[in-house]
Amino acid sequence: MEKILLKNLGRPGFHTIDSCLVNGGYNGLTEAFKHAPESIIQMVKDSGLRGRGGAGFPTGLKWSFIPKDPTIQKYLCCNADEGEPGTFKDRGIMENDPHLLIEGMIIASYAIGASVSYIYIRGEFVFGTRRLEAAIKEAYEKGFLGKNILGSGFSHDMYIHRGFGAYICGEETALLESIEGYRGQPRKKPPFPALSGLYGKPTVINNVETLACVPAIIEKGPKWFSSIGPEKSPGPKIFCVSGHVKKPGLYELPLGTTMRDLIFDHCGGMLNEGRGLKAVIPGGVSAPMLNAHELDTPLDFDSLAAKGSMLGSGAVVVMDESTCMVKTALIINRFFSHESCGKCTPCRDGTPWLTNILKRIEYGNGRPGDVELLESLCTNIFGRTFCPLGDGAVMALRGALKNFRDEFQHHIDHKRCMVS
Amino acid sequence: MSTVKINGKEVTVKDGTLILDAARDAGFEIPTFCYQADLMGVGSCRMCLVEIEGQKKLQPSCITPVLHGMSIHTETPTVMSARASMLEFLLANHALDCPVCDKGGECELQDMVYKYGPHKGRHAEPKFKFQEKDYVLSPVIIKNSNRCVQCMKCVRVCGEVVGANVLGALGRGDHQEETSFLRSFLDCDQDGNCIEVCPVGCFMRLPYRYKTRPWDLKGKDTVCPYCATGCRMVIEERDGIVIRAKAQLGVGLNSETLCARGRFGFDFINSPERLTKPLVKRFGTLEPASWEEALGVIKDNFIAAGKNIGGIASARLTDEELYLFQKLFRSMLGSPNIDSSARWAPEAVEGFIKATGMDEGGASAFDCMESDTVLITGTHLSDENPVTDYIVRRISAGRAMNLVIASPRAMKLDSSASQIVRHNAAAEGHLLDAVTLSVYGGNVDKLRDVPGINRIKDARQDDLAGKAGCSADDIKAIARKLTGEGSVGLFAGTEFLRYPGSIPGLALLKNALKALGKKVTIIPVLDRANQRGAWEMGVHPGFGPGYSPVKERGMGCADMLEAASSGELQALYVVQSDIVAMHPDENFVRGALSGLKFLVVQDCFMSETARLANVVLPASSFAEKDGILTNQEGRAQIIRKLLPPPVKAKRDIDIIRAVGETFDRSFGPKNPVLVLDEIRKEVGMYGEVSLAFNNKRNVDNKLDLKEALVKPAGLAEGLNASGLETKLEPKTDEHPFLLATGNHLFHSGRLSRKSPTLIGLLKNAIVEISAEDASALGLMNGDKVRIKGRYYEAYATLHTRSGSKGGVAFIAENYDDVPVNRFFRRGEGVPRVSITKA
Amino acid sequence: MFSDKAKEEIQQVLKKYPNRRSGVMDVLRIAQRERGGHLVKEDMEEIARILGMQTVEVNASAAFYTMYNVEKPVGKYHIQVCRNISCLLLGAENLIKHMERELNIRVGETTPDKKFTLSTVECLGSCGTAPMMQINDDYYENLTAEKIDKILKDLK
Ligand SMILES: Cc1cc2nc3c(=O)[nH]c(=O)nc-3n(C[C@H](O)[C@H](O)[C@H](O)COP(=O)(O)O)c2cc1C
Ligand code: SF4
Ligand code: FES
Repeated sequence: MEKILLKNLGRPGFHTIDSCLVNGGYNGLTEAFKHAPESIIQMVKDSGLRGRGGAGFPTGLKWSFIPKDPTIQKYLCCNADEGEPGTFKDRGIMENDPHLLIEGMIIASYAIGASVSYIYIRGEFVFGTRRLEAAIKEAYEKGFLGKNILGSGFSHDMYIHRGFGAYICGEETALLESIEGYRGQPRKKPPFPALSGLYGKPTVINNVETLACVPAIIEKGPKWFSSIGPEKSPGPKIFCVSGHVKKPGLYELPLGTTMRDLIFDHCGGMLNEGRGLKAVIPGGVSAPMLNAHELDTPLDFDSLAAKGSMLGSGAVVVMDESTCMVKTALIINRFFSHESCGKCTPCRDGTPWLTNILKRIEYGNGRPGDVELLESLCTNIFGRTFCPLGDGAVMALRGALKNFRDEFQHHIDHKRCMVS
Repeated sequence: MSTVKINGKEVTVKDGTLILDAARDAGFEIPTFCYQADLMGVGSCRMCLVEIEGQKKLQPSCITPVLHGMSIHTETPTVMSARASMLEFLLANHALDCPVCDKGGECELQDMVYKYGPHKGRHAEPKFKFQEKDYVLSPVIIKNSNRCVQCMKCVRVCGEVVGANVLGALGRGDHQEETSFLRSFLDCDQDGNCIEVCPVGCFMRLPYRYKTRPWDLKGKDTVCPYCATGCRMVIEERDGIVIRAKAQLGVGLNSETLCARGRFGFDFINSPERLTKPLVKRFGTLEPASWEEALGVIKDNFIAAGKNIGGIASARLTDEELYLFQKLFRSMLGSPNIDSSARWAPEAVEGFIKATGMDEGGASAFDCMESDTVLITGTHLSDENPVTDYIVRRISAGRAMNLVIASPRAMKLDSSASQIVRHNAAAEGHLLDAVTLSVYGGNVDKLRDVPGINRIKDARQDDLAGKAGCSADDIKAIARKLTGEGSVGLFAGTEFLRYPGSIPGLALLKNALKALGKKVTIIPVLDRANQRGAWEMGVHPGFGPGYSPVKERGMGCADMLEAASSGELQALYVVQSDIVAMHPDENFVRGALSGLKFLVVQDCFMSETARLANVVLPASSFAEKDGILTNQEGRAQIIRKLLPPPVKAKRDIDIIRAVGETFDRSFGPKNPVLVLDEIRKEVGMYGEVSLAFNNKRNVDNKLDLKEALVKPAGLAEGLNASGLETKLEPKTDEHPFLLATGNHLFHSGRLSRKSPTLIGLLKNAIVEISAEDASALGLMNGDKVRIKGRYYEAYATLHTRSGSKGGVAFIAENYDDVPVNRFFRRGEGVPRVSITKA
Repeated sequence: MFSDKAKEEIQQVLKKYPNRRSGVMDVLRIAQRERGGHLVKEDMEEIARILGMQTVEVNASAAFYTMYNVEKPVGKYHIQVCRNISCLLLGAENLIKHMERELNIRVGETTPDKKFTLSTVECLGSCGTAPMMQINDDYYENLTAEKIDKILKDLK
């Protein structure tokens, strides 16, 4: 498959606008200006593109919710907060092909009528920020940003907003709060951002990878895009593989590639020949892990949902037999309680409680009934939180408990680990 | 309208009603922590989750509106278990130190756990501790974050209602702590609304700390005795000591809010300085006497004075007391000389009443805020009537409207305004005239016949704007807003009484807008709890109860003093009014009073005026009496007696009656209830006023009970509003600042000076000038400065306010260390002063 | 209080947004850099003045995000080692212990010469090259004990 998103990966120097233009960069934009904004939205709808930020919401549909009234200020926000553990794809795009993102954002802004866009990039990505800053500057110089872009009559300004260490700011409404200068806690919905988002104005929030798909859809046509991968989850997808595999890294493959193919064909198999595969997290730590029997699951939105997990951000974390699942659960849960924003009761007070119990179990101080207590607390948190972060914490823990309950029990009963 | 089913019961409610409200109306209880009707919904505590048929997840009823056809369940096992689990989570990180917690016994968390909670604890982990010891956040607030349930009401009330925004949430997750900047000492309104809204023992009253348990307290409903906003509250005592004043959610126009004066200023009641027995002057010194003796002396001297007698009663007394007071003078002593204020000229009062239409009946501040354009003028609302400021802030944030604030001094409420106008001090009239002229310009035909228009119609806009000290654009912008779509609301404050020359401007603007067919709602903003009641009970030389015409016009306070100086007035009866401290020109008052043959002062404290008296009678505070007060809107509200008057002190109504009885045993009516009956009969405005609104939640959950508003009097034709003028000392290089006076956020009148807590908030005088003036003079906030006028000089701490108009120095009327009236000279206009580093 | 360069940067920041308050994160970041890695009371007061915010609001913004060090000075080199899942699977724990030994401090502490502060952080988005750490602005990836020794030696 021709690479769209990662074509520059491993090609130093290709991030500049000159090499970008030589390689067909901004052709999508030139093409886009030949169409009315409405038809751009229709093309994206037709392509079947679904959001790559986690929820898989149809992108064209999201754009179509934006009011058409031209007198209303509208915004586009690119979600480059990339905080889901295991995920590093957006960084890959921004560092290696910043113009692809910028082009996608200009097209998206043109489609929804946004005159200003912000890229919310996580604070730790200093290198990526510098690349983007330089690229935006280049884009202004070449007339792709600013007033009356390429004579189209469309004007647009693009700015970078740097996060500074808060996973929750990846949640779209928390992201808006953060840009506005408030603490990054989620807002209640409705009103949805499409009607009242940034500064109370209609706003689209899209993931980096989502936006990076847009130029190709416009240039090569929606049909081309929708022909890749399964019908309901079409298109190329970047998988971020990490953990116990030979060749971890970013892989751009059609959605629907099976886990087995990804790990054993593309990534060269398990890191240590002697150790078999124990579990895989298929879509970032919020996604419940799958066990070794489920390796043939295709990696796409619907197939994973059918298995009780999710594609999420496409972060595939591979764990071999030497991995202690109690420890894994603890590390993941600690992450969520560390990142809980503090707004709602079950997440704020529930996740640290879970962490404390897991800590106890891990350090050999588990008590009889702890597994049941964990499960009961999960029930009490799940579906009752303000935003999906708390749910993510529960799903992750439930995944571990479902597949490896014995290991937890062993820790409690024997005050030590089963695997090491 | 939407029809929904709640637990099977069909109810029809307005579209957009929250599920929570619909369910509560239908009689189903839903517990909440973070919800509060008058704050923006956040939906974070998750206590109020309910089940909606067809939705997988439970939904927060406090932020979810009903949709037609919804079927909602509030008591299913899932809902109940969700409630229990939220409480379990809250308890997981809660300090559980109930035995030593001030909130014990009235804690919402306790109550809810008792009702819905898990009765078995499963949390056995170490708890996160924010701090080891409670820490003091301000002179009135102490904080224990370990008990927090993170409802954020403190932060929200501080920002959304009070507008102070000095509380915030630091940190995140279970380390999130609602506190001040770096947990440092708060520089704020000190109104303690954060305490009031806190459902647990996290924000606590410092003065109340460890004093008692709530179940040992006895409380009574009352109204705050300070400004005329008329906040309802409950005061509570233990063993005869008043320990706490608190507001109640959903009760009174103030709901849960009070200002610092209201919440903490009650402790003057307990003061050891209270007068407890009558005193009679013998050989130059006041000595204890019996009531019989005191009354006997009064009778003899009153008889001797004949008609040459006058009375001044405080605008803090109840309507019943004030009514009886005027009756005593008019029908028993035969003297028309009565007044309720040492500060305002009687004509100014009449002009103001007419201009604000008080005689046309009460008007609710909420209605006023429903106007499309609201203009606030002649009042420093944020400091003088803080809870009115809260109401304005809250409502204006929730709807699309124009809020214009015109004031020389910057104020907190400015941040809510759509337009701020800084005019010269004492120039309200010029400003309003300029605005009216601008309105007139575009509507000559319609306004030709408006009474008073001739006064300005040939004026030059530039002249008026110049006198007002603002730009023509400012004026035009106000005029545009006032004449735009929709209705107009005005808040007009005591500056109009202080600078009566402004009153015709106010009246003219009102008339012009009405002539344009506008609905105009005016709220007079007053600074004494029952100022309006005092006027409506006829304690005024120019009109009787209900603004009725009087046969003979009497003398107002200033005239009485003048007459006393000349020996014409022989006796004066002063009830709870410290005229020496309050009348502009202290020297003049002292001189005048010494000219009297006989002075009776009835007061709770040995005031400056009382020291000069021949007889001093120990009176009662608001906590020691029953009666009604009429707030600035014309809302009649009941106060109830919590304690007996101390020792031999008596209720004012009983004293006034006793004085009357020395002349005629039948003088009465004999008790407040009967007096009220007579008022209702005699004073049409009060005939049908409902007094039902007493510390009960309103049926429809609205804070605005219109039935409590007084009715139109329709009698004001006799009001004399002529000869109104404002005199200012001319500006000189030597004295560049015009001296503005009024109330301070923590002090109004002299009563607050007897409150240890309020004194703790601010003891010594401060003088306020604009930050720009200060830096031009090389002065800094906090500097000790010398204030020098032509007749007096004093030292005070400088307070700078950025954004205020230059050339104004403000000193509140309330400091005993800087009696601001010493700067004034009768007949010489508002003084000017210089400010230099001390 | 701010250097001319910082003032210039702040002006640029304010151009990005329709209101001043939105600049708070950038301005805090600039202030933190100017101060050498942390924020102090005066900085936040100054920022509140510049942006027309209340001091507590600036404080709240800063305290919400983990990369601001509110009144917590850090060493010249702030070493932040990822402790999340992908790095953990490839031995982050041992590396952290190794570093504690090498620097002779515990996680959360600063060396007495104020040169190094050692912290652990959640996932930094570099999982494909785990284990990894960040020192000030730079990422160091595919770490081993030997690599760390060299990096530390170069910085010392
Ligand atoms: C706790 C939480 C964290 C999230 N973090 C991210 C993130 O880092 N990056 C991202 O693109 N989306 C993230 N999301 C998803 C966003 O809320 C949003 O769905 C997404 O940006 C929409 O873009 P898309 O339609 O292009 O996928 C997060 C969601 C939640 C609930
Ligand atoms: S679930 Fe609640 S506490 Fe957790 S991050 Fe979302 S809003 Fe914040
Ligand atoms: S009361 Fe509804 S969530 Fe708190």
